[in-house]
Amino acid sequence: MTSPDARWRPTAALGRALVTAAVAVAAALLFGDPSLVVIAVPFVALSTLGLLHRPTRVPTCQARLDHVALHEGQGTTSRLSVTDADDAEYLTRSHGRPPYVAVRPQRGQVGALLAGPDGPAPTIELSPRRWGRRYLGDEKVALVTPWAGYRFGPVSLAGQQLRVLPTTAAYDSRADAPQPVGLVGAHRSQRPGGGTELAGIRPFMAGDRLRRVNWRVSLRTGDLHVVSTRAEEDTGVLLVVDALADHGASGGVDGTPSSLDLSVRAASAIAEHHVRSGDRVALRVVGRGRELVGFGTGARHLRRLQHTLAGLRVGDVAEADAGVLQLGVTAGTVVVVLSPMLAESIGAVAATLTRRGVPVLVVDTLPPDVRPALVTETDPEVAALAWRMRSLERAAVLRRLASLGCPVVAWRGPGTIDDVLRRLARRAGQPRVVAR
Amino acid sequence: MNAALTSVAELSRSQLVLRALIVLGPMIAVLAAGPAGHWPPWWVAAGMLALAGVFAAVPESPVGGGVMLAVLGWWAVALDDGLHPAVLVAAVALLVTHLASVLASYGPGEMPVERALVWLWVRRGAVVLLGVPLVWGLAVLLRDQPDQPGVWVVGLVAGLVTTVVAAVVLTAPQPGEDRG
Repeated sequence: MTSPDARWRPTAALGRALVTAAVAVAAALLFGDPSLVVIAVPFVALSTLGLLHRPTRVPTCQARLDHVALHEGQGTTSRLSVTDADDAEYLTRSHGRPPYVAVRPQRGQVGALLAGPDGPAPTIELSPRRWGRRYLGDEKVALVTPWAGYRFGPVSLAGQQLRVLPTTAAYDSRADAPQPVGLVGAHRSQRPGGGTELAGIRPFMAGDRLRRVNWRVSLRTGDLHVVSTRAEEDTGVLLVVDALADHGASGGVDGTPSSLDLSVRAASAIAEHHVRSGDRVALRVVGRGRELVGFGTGARHLRRLQHTLAGLRVGDVAEADAGVLQLGVTAGTVVVVLSPMLAESIGAVAATLTRRGVPVLVVDTLPPDVRPALVTETDPEVAALAWRMRSLERAAVLRRLASLGCPVVAWRGPGTIDDVLRRLARRAGQPRVVAR
Repeated sequence: MNAALTSVAELSRSQLVLRALIVLGPMIAVLAAGPAGHWPPWWVAAGMLALAGVFAAVPESPVGGGVMLAVLGWWAVALDDGLHPAVLVAAVALLVTHLASVLASYGPGEMPVERALVWLWVRRGAVVLLGVPLVWGLAVLLRDQPDQPGVWVVGLVAGLVTTVVAAVVLTAPQPGEDRG
């Protein structure tokens, strides 16, 4: 700690007590007025006791968080370790007020009498209310000696950073993936195999396992019949998150969501569901950071996806069209686009992939009552008109996508995409014309 | 004006009580001279109220020292024989003002003052206040005694020595301070 404030200084109270005592005693002696000595007595005592507790050591303070990565709505504790604080009696902490972080005690200010040199310093509880990287702001710490004669600081401690992962919304889907092509997994395949889902009963062929024989049908027909099942395979899910802009005001995990809140939380929920189902999940963020996570499975991969979502950067990309279109979609991949569908490039990529025969699902994440944020000196009527025109264009894009066969659903939490995935799965089994 | 009102509205309840004590203390200390036969004129009371208001707004400012000196000055000017019991009231009022400003200075104005800290300073205040009636009683007893030769000179020298020692201690480099 090399801050110029990191030293002990006499307090204003000590100076005031000294001046009052000295002037009162001097005036009493000069004017021969004992009443001034009577008034000065407490100040003589206070200044003497304050001076007697002159500190001799320089304390050092260090704050640390119990956790540096949390989900939205979870909480952690900021602890302060103080060394060489034998001379101090009272400690005050004043934390910054970062946006989207709830602090307890309120305003992040707390003080407490120290229980001794090794006693615990007061703690501050923090709870991030929105995903993302949260800079907690500088913290000020002050120490005061007994009888308030000297104060150390307030010194600034560098703010810490918290990585806030999107909340794991309760999400489940019972729908099968449209085009499972992997080796193992939980989705019902179009081809027969060693799964558990009944495909039919057929005559026995060489190579069939004896435990597959259906004895009831075999006795009735007089020939051996076996139960055939569908194979169970995994699938690849590519999540495309539109981070070109954030529409609407975010109220945090308990408040109204912005478009990006919905996108990120929905992406996290879908990713978690598919990873737990054994599917391969990839992530592509269309935004300033152009974050990309390749296909993978497992808990570690899910953690990587969530960390990437938490660190995404909002903003336009320089060459949106070229960047967006290079998604690297392979056969058997389901593309889930999470977007408020206000950017032309996102609509274009969804349409292009649908024409190529890739199962594409658009999750509309534009909040229903969103209004554009007005720049100062903008005419509200002009802004309202512009927003209305933009909404009409958006509706036209959604209609065109629907006519191409690309379903668009608004995010409603659990079961949002079940019906759509089922329809996509049915359609995948039918013959179709694909544009090359 | 709005900024001042906003800053007052942001104060915690305990801080508001302390600020009120800071305003009331000097007023009571000055008005305590009234029962002894020296009521302050309105402009003295108004000036004191203004000074105390500034002190309450900024408890760590040097204005606090000015408030204390103004009260001392009024008592020095107003009374010829200052051993009226009202001086005890003035001493208590000034001490309460000082302690309230000490408590208010422990943290930002929005931060509530810890109950344990308040009780600690109440106990400390009671202890240092014990000397007030003792000194007052001693002064009343010795009022009619003839002055010992040189007692005032010894007292003045003692006061000067104390002041010099205090000044040396205060201006000495503190731990952590750059001595270069």
